Amino acid sequence: MIFPIFAVYTNSDDGALIERLKRRDPHALAELYDRYGRLAYSLALRVVRDPAIAEDLVQETFLRVWNCVHSIDPRKNALGPWLLAIARNRAIDYLRSSAGRGRSVLVELDENDHAPLYRELEAGILMSDQLRRVKAAVDKLQPNLRAVMELAYFEGLSQSEMSAKMGQPLGTIKTWVRTALRSLRDELGVAAS
Amino acid sequence: MNCEDLRDHYDLYAWDAAEEPERSEISAHLNRGCEVCVERMKRALETAALLGALAPPAEPSRKLRGRILASVGLEGRRVNPLFAWAAAAALLALLGVLVFVIRAERRYAEEALESRAALAVLYAPGTVEASFGGAQRQPPRGTVFVNPSEGVLLIASNLAPTAEDKTYEMWLIPKNAKPVAAGLFQSHTDGEAMHLRPGALDIASTAAVAVTIEDQAGAAQPTTTPLIVASLPASP
Repeated sequence: MIFPIFAVYTNSDDGALIERLKRRDPHALAELYDRYGRLAYSLALRVVRDPAIAEDLVQETFLRVWNCVHSIDPRKNALGPWLLAIARNRAIDYLRSSAGRGRSVLVELDENDHAPLYRELEAGILMSDQLRRVKAAVDKLQPNLRAVMELAYFEGLSQSEMSAKMGQPLGTIKTWVRTALRSLRDELGVAAS
Repeated sequence: MNCEDLRDHYDLYAWDAAEEPERSEISAHLNRGCEVCVERMKRALETAALLGALAPPAEPSRKLRGRILASVGLEGRRVNPLFAWAAAAALLALLGVLVFVIRAERRYAEEALESRAALAVLYAPGTVEASFGGAQRQPPRGTVFVNPSEGVLLIASNLAPTAEDKTYEMWLIPKNAKPVAAGLFQSHTDGEAMHLRPGALDIASTAAVAVTIEDQAGAAQPTTTPLIVASLPASP
């Protein structure tokens, strides 16, 4: 087992949970937290590296889900990815604000412009088999490729920002990023078409 | 740029790490519904979710759960347990009395209104009735009363409560048209149910009254086999 926490994600009954959240079932939010709270917190903490701030961000995340759950189609069942995207967006946004890097446009990406994309993700994407594959893919990356992928994903750095941070030419960074992402896609079997 | 030029940039876009001009190009493709880009973005978002799940596992404080529930008014802050128990007991007692009084008054008012309307269907001139379930071993049993000016009243017994996310829905079945929804209702724990659909209807063109189990919001047309079908007597 990669992480014990993964065991909870074999429960793909998010559709029923979405319905209950929409009905404002008082126990549904508690169940949602029990299902995804630790994962959202782990992600937020990895980004901001401050437990108190990570908890604030997780609270914002669950409030956002509670207030916007009407936009999720329970039949499509993408609650987990949607919630994680909100948690990450909030965390990256905080990181950028506190570092004076300006406000992120991520909120627009997930909540307005392209919301239908989130509503139609594959059900059960957070199931352990997929997780094992992406974990294996990340573990196989060379250190420099892994570094640029983590800087982009967990810190929201652009390639230019990575170039400055790592002291490498922009062309080199672009090659590393492209190689890292292609390795990930190959490992996950994502069609190149 | 075409989709091929953008192939290596969808993940960065999903992570908000893409730069110009690729960011604007992908956004434009998505906004005009480019199928290739939409599909690639879905894969990129799935990968993003999976990467998020790979963050080193960490445990939030126990207070966080309560904070989140409290923030939407579902759970209060923790206080001294003894004080909390005493306060809760007193509050519960007071609330119990209030709720009992309010519920009793509301129930009385609702029952009075419903009874008045139900009696109108039962005793108004021109009411026809049709029984159902009498020949079945495990029925719901009962009778529907149909009055051309007052409406339809269904009285049933042995009607088990539905699952939490389901409801009963009554239908008027015209002779030559699709069923017409006639309201949602639940049975009581003892299996008894009474449902009234007030308002005029044409008995001559109505073949039957039926009941199905539907999702809680109800359905525009029946989606399950009726468990009650009461055929109305033919007009003289």
